[in-house]
Amino acid sequence: MDDIRDRAQDVFRQVFDDPQIVLRDEMTADDISGWDSLTHINLMVATEKRFKVKFATAEISKLKEAGQNVGSFLALLGKKLTRGQ
Amino acid sequence: MNVAFDFNVAGIEFIVAVLVAGAMFFHLRATVLRQGLWAAANLLVLWLVLPNAASWIALAIFIGSGYVMAQILRTRPSQWLLPSYLVLLIAAFLVLRQYPIFDLVLPHALAQSSTLILGIPIRDGVLQHVVRIMGVSYMLFRQIHVLVDASQGQIERLSLWSYVNYQVSLFTILAGPIQRYQDFDEQWRTLDPVLADPHELLRNCLRLLMGILKIGLIAPLFYKGWDELVVPLAAMHVSGWKYVVEFLVVFYFYPIYLYCNFAGYCDIVIAANRFFGMKLPENFNRPWLARNVIEFWTRWHITLGTWIRDYLFMPMYKPVVERWPTRAQNWAWLFYFLAFFVAGVWHGTTLNFLCYGAWQGMGMSATKLYETWLLKRRGRKGLREYMQSGWVRVVAILANFHFQCISMLIFSQRDVRDAWQLFRGLFSAMTGHTY
Repeated sequence: MDDIRDRAQDVFRQVFDDPQIVLRDEMTADDISGWDSLTHINLMVATEKRFKVKFATAEISKLKEAGQNVGSFLALLGKKLTRGQ
Repeated sequence: MNVAFDFNVAGIEFIVAVLVAGAMFFHLRATVLRQGLWAAANLLVLWLVLPNAASWIALAIFIGSGYVMAQILRTRPSQWLLPSYLVLLIAAFLVLRQYPIFDLVLPHALAQSSTLILGIPIRDGVLQHVVRIMGVSYMLFRQIHVLVDASQGQIERLSLWSYVNYQVSLFTILAGPIQRYQDFDEQWRTLDPVLADPHELLRNCLRLLMGILKIGLIAPLFYKGWDELVVPLAAMHVSGWKYVVEFLVVFYFYPIYLYCNFAGYCDIVIAANRFFGMKLPENFNRPWLARNVIEFWTRWHITLGTWIRDYLFMPMYKPVVERWPTRAQNWAWLFYFLAFFVAGVWHGTTLNFLCYGAWQGMGMSATKLYETWLLKRRGRKGLREYMQSGWVRVVAILANFHFQCISMLIFSQRDVRDAWQLFRGLFSAMTGHTY
């Protein structure tokens, strides 16, 4: 899981153009400058490319809902990698 | 749209029915009985609002075809089946809603023919048929969501019983909120009386009351003020400073009326749903505090804004960002414009809705272009500081509020020339010149 977190952190830093970002599970879109609907899609596409996975529309949308955080994102990513999606 | 029965969620009949049926609901122990009561209520509302047999047939085909297609897509996702069906579905929707576009694209003979299609009598051409389905626009949204999610493997269970009740639920049939099927189905399978807690019950009753006050008391006051002035103003029956003052009343009253009417409706249906063990998504979050048009659509009619993002904006933008990740963001404004233009056209069949969509789309595009410019100029840290500045926040909130007031003035006028006439009158009254 730490490996996934580190690689995901690289994706975040690249998408949000901020090398200082350190991912914590409880972080939400409010904690990362520029995490709006548009950059959310950019983030998901960059993650798909880096990890060779595919997110469905409903999954992308759900991760932007209130109550979701970096932990939810990493959990979904981990599940996809386990299933080989 | 003319329907056989005026379905009014703030009416005394609806409120009493909700309270009585909600009380009965608590005492029904078996889930199937609770589902049965809900389904019977749905059927009753359909019986009241569908004016003829043709409308029942059209509704059955509209919902049934969506269910069958979703089942097929769940088991055999296909790259061509979904787009092909969506084209047919949207064409059917345009015919059902009688969009004037068919005047332009269909041969005159077909548009004006008098015939039977699937047993539905078509009088005076395709656009003048007798089918009237209340809430068909929202059914279209729900169906597209189910189809896309089914084709992407996001719907684990799909039963006809649950799907039909999802589509014709009496609480959301009129104007949403647009609930996700997965969310509906999960709650539908249990329909637990969630109001066993007296505190929760009281809160829910208060919300119902707030909704009734908004829709039944406050909204009509503002509507009356607007309605009494708008026609004389458009006809230029007043002039000078009296015109300016009355224009401002018209300008500000309609958005307040619309907000109270729609937010009140949402309060009532969300509270009513809670009585029946179903939690609906929220649709409003202090929209007048939005700092720009993009933020506004995350606070006003939230479920529609989310739907537009997921099923209009994302399918256009995502393939572009996949192919050209660095350049895509510079073109995002175009996709914002297209998505909200389409959403505006969906609101209604007349020219004012087309203009409303274009206006919202322009606001979206301008916001994104300005943000991109600020980002390039100040960097992300500078942009964050700019957005957090107190005076920027105040100016942005006021600017967006007035942008939306103009938008709603266009929205409120069936004839766009009347909206234009109102602004011409204002400039004339302020400058003393005739425009």
